[in-house]
Amino acid sequence: MKPVIFTEALTKQYGGKTVINQLDLSVPAGSIYGFLGPNGAGKSTTIKLLLGLIKPNSGSMKLLGREVTEKTRLSILSQTGSLIESPAYYGHLSGQENLQIICTLKNVPETEISRVLRIVRMEAQKDKKVRQYSLGMKQRLGLAAALIGNPRLLLLDEPTNGLDPAGIHEIRELICSLPKQFGITVLVSSHLLSEIDQMATHVGIIDEGQLIFQDTLSCLHEHSRPRLLLRTDNDKEAAQILKRRQIPADLKDGKLYLRIHEDAAVKKAAALLVNSDIGILRLSEQQISLEDIFLNLTGRQVSL
Amino acid sequence: MNFQFTMQLRAERLKGRRRHLLLIPFLFLLFQILWAFWQLNRATPEELNTGYLLLLHHLPMMNTILLPMMAAVIASRLCDMEIKGDTLKLLYTMQKQTSLFDCKYLAGLKYLIAFTFAQGLLIVGLGTSYHFGESLKWSMLIEHLAVTLSVSAALLAIQQALSLLSASQILPLASGLAGCFLGLFSLFFPPLIARLFIWGYYAAFSSASMDWERNSKIVHYYETPFPTAGFFLFLAAVIIIYLLCRTITARKEV
Repeated sequence: MKPVIFTEALTKQYGGKTVINQLDLSVPAGSIYGFLGPNGAGKSTTIKLLLGLIKPNSGSMKLLGREVTEKTRLSILSQTGSLIESPAYYGHLSGQENLQIICTLKNVPETEISRVLRIVRMEAQKDKKVRQYSLGMKQRLGLAAALIGNPRLLLLDEPTNGLDPAGIHEIRELICSLPKQFGITVLVSSHLLSEIDQMATHVGIIDEGQLIFQDTLSCLHEHSRPRLLLRTDNDKEAAQILKRRQIPADLKDGKLYLRIHEDAAVKKAAALLVNSDIGILRLSEQQISLEDIFLNLTGRQVSL
Repeated sequence: MNFQFTMQLRAERLKGRRRHLLLIPFLFLLFQILWAFWQLNRATPEELNTGYLLLLHHLPMMNTILLPMMAAVIASRLCDMEIKGDTLKLLYTMQKQTSLFDCKYLAGLKYLIAFTFAQGLLIVGLGTSYHFGESLKWSMLIEHLAVTLSVSAALLAIQQALSLLSASQILPLASGLAGCFLGLFSLFFPPLIARLFIWGYYAAFSSASMDWERNSKIVHYYETPFPTAGFFLFLAAVIIIYLLCRTITARKEV
């Protein structure tokens, strides 16, 4: 299946500083693609590039199978919806009137309004002025605006930013339902691993403008297979013995980890250490967190 | 005008709901009406005899003082809803940046046209009610209205660009206020320097002038030839100013 978003060596520089570096993004149709990265990694810039709001210095991109150029941009974007950074709204108008403007600009019949309001569950608040909405309601209105015209692709930039836990849950549920119910492909950016973990089918991790991981979420979880923490009465010695017998083990921050999972291999390693007069004090299984995976991928500690 | 642009104009009209934009030209015109009554009530019969020339001399001065601010307020009211609501990023996924500039400009221009037309009616109405001795020279009135509209149109383009480029509306409004003073002061500058200040063009193009005799304190109003060639040159400059403002605004990445 052709990817819905496909970029090739996409690069953006600001004043000589490369903020997006040779980005090769591939978002499969029907997926929820979690675009993950710490603050300032280049997520919003990438989304703005995809929407043609800023121009790349080099590279190319295809949306919905069509090359994005100045000429084709608006025609392609007529089949997409977006929510960029903070929700966009006219505070002096009601929710219904806000959506009327979007319908007019997208040249879509106004009957769409009640459909999208129903999806985001905002029928009751449609006549209230948007400046009186809570942030969660504004986000939902933004999502409703993005859904107008039944787009094939949704680009959502940190849609749960600033929401309370209930609001986050609601938006997440909504996003998860979109591919199944309406066949929409969703690219959703976030700096929270846990959030992406609960929504996405595919993941792209960006750091300092570079894509450092891109695959299915299950593939990312492959990296998070448990590891064994081994405590002995002489960890240093134990590590050397294991290394000599080519048993994968790491001594990190004074802790000894075995990178083996099969029972037979664990049994063999334990027997080897006991026979070498090393006392085994503890052998426990430890889950690698997604934070640790990110650390492994980037080689640096970030708050996710 | 293609269908897409018509829809974008309609969207602009929808955005303007409950913004009470018509109130802006109305309030500025009300001020001019009050001023005109005050001016004509204290005018001598001789001055009333040349009442149209009196108005066509003084109104451009009033326009110089007021209309840069009016253009700034209109542009600001039209653009601050986009800035406050952070809607530009969303809009630019549905329409071109240049197209948004055009739509906003046309939305603002209609208030300037309404104001100019109303000012024309005011002149004719005052002439009738105060029984000016001379008859109205329609060519002078049309020239006055054409100058009022074209200078305001150029200022609107500048103000709109400032309003769309600024995160806060304080700077555009302050520049509108500064324009009022610059325009007024430019009337006292040597003509060559005064030409650098577009805000003063309302009065600079006025085809009614006056003499004031210091001893007798008698004011004499008279007609001066309208600088037609200069005005057409100015119209070309208005188009260039508009295109320049449009390009600068469109180049800004959001």
